[in-house]
Amino acid sequence: MSLTGLDGVLLAGAVFGLAVAMLLPVLATLVPSPPAALRHAAPRALAAGSCVLAAVVGMRALAGATPPPLAWWPGFPGQPFTLGPDALSAPFVMLFGAVGAASFAAHAPIGSERGASARLALHAGFALAMLAAFTARHVLLFLVAWEAMTLLSAALVAHDTRSSRGRGAAYVYLAISHAGAACIALALFTLSAQAGSFQFEALAATYARLPAAEAARLAWWFTAGFSVKLALLPLHVWLPMAHPEAPAPVSAMLSGVMVKAGLYGLLRFAWQMPGAPPAHWGTVLVLAGIASMIAGALYAAVEADAKRLLAYSTLKNAGVLALAVGLAALLAEAGQRDIAGVALAAALYHAVGHGFAKALAFLSVGEAVHAGGSRHLDHLGGLANRMPRTSIAALVSTLALCGLPALSCFAGEWLVFQSLILGYSAGAGQLRLVAPFAGAALALASALAVAALVKLYGIAFLGRPRTAEAAAAHDAPRVVGLTLLSFTALPVLWGLAAPVMALTLAAPLGALLPDFDAARLAGEAGFTLLPARVDGSSIAPAAVALLVALFALLALAWLRGARGQRRVLRRAPSWTCGAATDTRAQYTALGLTKPLRLIFEPVLRSTRELDVLEEGSPYFARRLRYRSAVPAVFERWLYQPFVQAVVWTSEQARRLQTGSLHLYLAYLLATLVGLLLWGR
Amino acid sequence: MHAGAIVLQTVLLVALAPLWNGVVARIKARLQMRRGSPVLQRYRDLLKLAGKETVLSEHASPLARVTPYLMLGAAVTLCTWTPVLTTRPGLAFAGDLVMTVALLAAMRVLLALLALEAGTTFGGMSASRHLALSALAEPALMMAIFTLALNAHSTDLARIAAAVEAAPAAWISPSHLLALTAVWIVVVSETGRVPVDNPVTHLELTMIHEGMTLDVSGHHLALLEWAGAVRQLVLLTLVANLFLPWGIADTLEPAALGLALLAWLGKLLLFAVVVALTESLTAKMRLFRVPEFLGMAFLLALIALTSDTLTRG
Repeated sequence: MSLTGLDGVLLAGAVFGLAVAMLLPVLATLVPSPPAALRHAAPRALAAGSCVLAAVVGMRALAGATPPPLAWWPGFPGQPFTLGPDALSAPFVMLFGAVGAASFAAHAPIGSERGASARLALHAGFALAMLAAFTARHVLLFLVAWEAMTLLSAALVAHDTRSSRGRGAAYVYLAISHAGAACIALALFTLSAQAGSFQFEALAATYARLPAAEAARLAWWFTAGFSVKLALLPLHVWLPMAHPEAPAPVSAMLSGVMVKAGLYGLLRFAWQMPGAPPAHWGTVLVLAGIASMIAGALYAAVEADAKRLLAYSTLKNAGVLALAVGLAALLAEAGQRDIAGVALAAALYHAVGHGFAKALAFLSVGEAVHAGGSRHLDHLGGLANRMPRTSIAALVSTLALCGLPALSCFAGEWLVFQSLILGYSAGAGQLRLVAPFAGAALALASALAVAALVKLYGIAFLGRPRTAEAAAAHDAPRVVGLTLLSFTALPVLWGLAAPVMALTLAAPLGALLPDFDAARLAGEAGFTLLPARVDGSSIAPAAVALLVALFALLALAWLRGARGQRRVLRRAPSWTCGAATDTRAQYTALGLTKPLRLIFEPVLRSTRELDVLEEGSPYFARRLRYRSAVPAVFERWLYQPFVQAVVWTSEQARRLQTGSLHLYLAYLLATLVGLLLWGR
Repeated sequence: MHAGAIVLQTVLLVALAPLWNGVVARIKARLQMRRGSPVLQRYRDLLKLAGKETVLSEHASPLARVTPYLMLGAAVTLCTWTPVLTTRPGLAFAGDLVMTVALLAAMRVLLALLALEAGTTFGGMSASRHLALSALAEPALMMAIFTLALNAHSTDLARIAAAVEAAPAAWISPSHLLALTAVWIVVVSETGRVPVDNPVTHLELTMIHEGMTLDVSGHHLALLEWAGAVRQLVLLTLVANLFLPWGIADTLEPAALGLALLAWLGKLLLFAVVVALTESLTAKMRLFRVPEFLGMAFLLALIALTSDTLTRG
């Protein structure tokens, strides 16, 4: 392996660090009595450090430092395996590094010692595979990394050996992911056979030269494959099952980073390599994006499981990403490359911004869930006063995911709105038809997501504890708490400095739209974010935050003046119009969004059962059982018939296998005759 | 724009916000053949609240102590770029239509969280209703203004006002009127007025906005009430100046500004009369009729948007 320059050393350090971190816990089990630090603390610190190196590599690549890739001869004929970030992968590598570092730092050992080291080893291996998937420049290496990413994360999804839910989720996840991986592999192998090379550069050159129909077919195979990872409707069913089952630090990487690997794949193989996406690609992505956005937000709003709620929110944001990329493709197709650049900037900005916020949300909610002993929101409550460090992180991530201005998820959606309006004004083809509905859908999805996230923070962290476990909850360990608090800076910074951050995306934008001038995204010395046109509208998140703070302080000063030195603030039991209340009188997670469940009843088809267990008097029952569920519509109507068909076919096929040798010989003879006839 | 003009419009909105509520209450009282409280009563209430002892629930988190300040801060921030007297942009570089909707949403999030702080039934109930209704109201508001924004080719509020003002023929176009109806429904819902909510009710089972502040008192309550009033006035001003921009000034000359001030106050008075009449003549809806009402706003806005698309091709 040749090390070229600082970036080469950093990248090699990250790769080897993660590899050693993966192997250390495994090797430690071979030694009779290993030092305790070797099993967890040392590999964890090493992995976190390696991720920081990866983040630095990503940031340097964003700044334009793209070193010659690391080459490695594995004894495979042909070309060396090559690893190296380029302009397009740079934001993803940076996101991976930042989220990975926080995720390892927050990966405190839980449960049995063996289990903890196994989880850490898998976690490090998963991170290594993901880094390799983002930086691979060689087809086989990419496919190996992609597959390892899926397999290792599936093992982590099924890590709780006592949970049948985890196993089921891992099974569904593997099945759908492999269908996707098969599409990707098919397209990649076809392409490398055409190119006669495994290197991405050669692939891109061949791809761009292919006849349009052939290139479009390949692009659609890629799109199908990567849409699975991006979890677009209706390929999303694995996401809300699998993401919540993994340990929280791994969920953070799954939702924060791995979903974006789907976006990376789409951009790399269906856009950058052929030079432009195929026809109708934009329309399909826009429609899938709108559907995912609304479904994700709606299911998140009626979900009562803290981690599943976050997973559904990821689905909503994946929809926003698909919408932005689809818009960009539609606009580029119509020749509006300036506005297409705005939409692409929205996709890349939001990919990173959502990654930061969602990782922080999973990490902090994971701590809360661990402390409260349950993932169900109705078993938590009152954690804000018991877990101050965790709750600050949870609050910031919740507010960011709500799309509050000045936090990391707002500017991306703002850019989507800008590209909608400008694209509509420019009269760009199908966009005149799509833009109004896309805008309405985005507004509806955002409003529903607000309800979901207010429920998450409001029920789990505010109010009174609903169970004894929640009442006895303690804050996360110091290292984890400090990790959470320091990671809070990222979504805040990414949001406040949105114009500057959009400027840093110039390199990946240039890789996709060479003639787009990203410098026009920011005006007035990086203070305002513009939709690339001087006469348009602009926002300045930092200015808004400053104004809010300024006016809040003015209000404080006014009150100080009006009240003199008298500051009276008394703590007392909750008032509630004077009624005596107990903990169970609080609203539940189910109740808080019941109006929404009723309003969207025709879509959700939720079920409700009320049994009287014990009659008291004719009018008042003594004990009731209330059950309410939101059925999994896609599983039931789309996947179940398919699975049943497969099972039925295999049942039928079993009849062929009677166990009779004579019959098998007859099959052989029939096949031979058939082949002879066919080959004649 | 001149910094002085921005300060002026911010001060105007913040200072006049409680007055509008007083005027509505006064008109309602007259309609009911009562004398009613003086129009300045709201200011006295605010001052009284600000001087009182503040009681905080023992279950409340530190967030509850910050939220009232942030609410007022956000509401006043909205005033700096809302076009009030002129179509010359205020702090338009900082905020536009989407930022306005996002700040309104932010205030909603903070208020809903505040309602859940004390861990009581009423807080949860009103937060629940608030979230459900605003999930319908917010997209309707966004879309109604979006209709105008599409034609103005910009989300900048001042630009939208200028574009609408420049084409008075479009004011009676179906899409404009539909969008205006939609936005009015949203404003009624967002400000907690009849028929969606009753601002003077203290019957717990029917209330939405009042329920969220039940466990808030003293100076916190004063801040919240003032923030709510400012938010309400900003929404009304948006309706007045984006949908009916009659009389708005294009320059910063004193004469034009004076005329614009009169036009603005006149429109606000008109709104006050409309609201007072509605509140006197209609009853509050049953809660589960409200989604249909807001769903209607959503649909109207959607129709406005599509009819706009179709007619302009």
